[in-house]
Amino acid sequence: MDGKSTRARRRGKTGENIKSWLIMLPGLLLMTFFVWEPLFESIRMSLYKTRNVELVRYIGLDNFISVMSKDDFLQALTNTFTYTFWSLLIGFGLPILLALLIGETRRGKGFFRTAAYLPNMLPGLAVIILWSAFFSGEKSGVLNILLGRLGVPPQSYLTNYRLVIPIIIVIATWKGAGATALIYMAGMSGINAELYEAAAIDGATVWQRVVHILLPAIRKLAGTLLILQIISVFQIMYEPMVLTKGGPDNASLSLMQLMWQYAFGGSMNYGKASAVAVIVTVILLLMTAVYSYFNRKESDWD
Amino acid sequence: MSHPQRTGVIREYDMHSPSVRAGYGVILFLCGIMVVIALFPLVWVILAGFKDLKEFVSSTSILPRSFDIQTFVTTWNQLGIAKNYLNSFISVAGSVVCALIFNGLLGYGLGILKPKGYGVVKKLVMLSLLMPTTISIVPLFMNIQKLGLGNSFLPLWLSYGANAMYVILFVQFFESLPSSIIEASRIDGCSQLQIFFRIVLPLSKPICSVVAIFAINAAWSDFLLPYLVLRGGELQTVMVRLFVFSTEQTVNADAMMRSVVFSMIPPIILFFIFQKQLTENSVSVGIKG
Repeated sequence: MDGKSTRARRRGKTGENIKSWLIMLPGLLLMTFFVWEPLFESIRMSLYKTRNVELVRYIGLDNFISVMSKDDFLQALTNTFTYTFWSLLIGFGLPILLALLIGETRRGKGFFRTAAYLPNMLPGLAVIILWSAFFSGEKSGVLNILLGRLGVPPQSYLTNYRLVIPIIIVIATWKGAGATALIYMAGMSGINAELYEAAAIDGATVWQRVVHILLPAIRKLAGTLLILQIISVFQIMYEPMVLTKGGPDNASLSLMQLMWQYAFGGSMNYGKASAVAVIVTVILLLMTAVYSYFNRKESDWD
Repeated sequence: MSHPQRTGVIREYDMHSPSVRAGYGVILFLCGIMVVIALFPLVWVILAGFKDLKEFVSSTSILPRSFDIQTFVTTWNQLGIAKNYLNSFISVAGSVVCALIFNGLLGYGLGILKPKGYGVVKKLVMLSLLMPTTISIVPLFMNIQKLGLGNSFLPLWLSYGANAMYVILFVQFFESLPSSIIEASRIDGCSQLQIFFRIVLPLSKPICSVVAIFAINAAWSDFLLPYLVLRGGELQTVMVRLFVFSTEQTVNADAMMRSVVFSMIPPIILFFIFQKQLTENSVSVGIKG
């Protein structure tokens, strides 16, 4: 080996490395400014007394204590878990069912897929406002009109503390289920059709093929989508904010909404808002850790 | 993606059995119900847009009394939506450009160049995927204010250049490109940026179009950060206006429904232009992501 050329090559390699990092630099700076730094900043801010955008003084865990000792925190925490519960009950199985149904159609599959995906393209805010008219308690509310035809008297849905969270989840499911179904469809189309053929020859009914071939094949995908669903529903915020303002009587108040209220609801208490954000982050990290613990054998990254 | 053989649990010969045929009828019926549920609210809001306030709050009919497009025109002019549309288009255009350039270059670094130490960044990006930005919206807004970037599109545009999901989509696509092409052009003496713009980008039209469609839709629908940055100013987008209407209730219910329709028109047009990419490509992308 010629020492000189190795050194030259190494210097060339270092130069390449530096150039590569320079190419990534703009993206890295933006990730730092918009994602990473704010995450650390919210941890730091949660430990400070704040006035407007200034950090006044370090106060340890006082923000956390003050936030958690209020009644609305416990209410928001329970509500957020209630959201998650209803979201799994209503929104987890439905996309699998839709994917199964659409996947079996022999004609018009493209049309069904398009119809299923369309709600997902609509702006979330517009969807919420649209559905607020739908569930309106007036006699001109769409649901009241429809149920009125069946002889059901007009009802006020969004002021019923027992219905309000399920209704918000129904709306979120209406928007998202079709798009999730298409992901399942892609997973199901990867199943080798010969498996079904072979099972059929062995006398397996259609239903048995679904239970013993199709469902096991999408189990891992379902696990991934499950955790993504939990993470996303845990951050539910603008839906109750716009639809019910958290009401009736905080019955639909979510944790992230509580954070928004502390920060932008008039009091501009960024320190307390950050404390709520940190609590949500910790819960999400715990859930992700539990998920990756159970999923550790099937990591497809690195 | 496409199999020459039919997929699906129900096979050709199953259809000879009357019970399977009946079951297939049920499947079609349920799919029909799904279509109605997916489309009815959309049809309804357009119908509701034709009603005036009195009719909207008191009528118990789904159909409006008349289909006078003038109701939409009046609201459009009264609320000055044209200006918000223009703002939204400017906001979306800059966001898409940033989404493609910055995430694309970062993805190029992590997926192809892989300089020493890139693994740490890749892990950080993966982790950020699980920590969506709403959680740190408070300090982010403070940073933007401190830099004096309030009431400007710039922070909104740049925020789309920092999207972990888009970066990962790019990385996955770039990793699937044949490395021989890139190696050959490196030997030919192309610089890294030249390789990106002359070789990698032209091969990456599918992923660029997917990211562009996602970014257009996300930037159009976005309203939380835009509201904080643009509120009260002249640059408010359609969604910011709609959010202000909904929180301050300064607009009548009927005009509100027409504003909802206005806010949905561009995404619906986008959807029908790119239906095929959205329901096929983006899904095969989503399954890996």
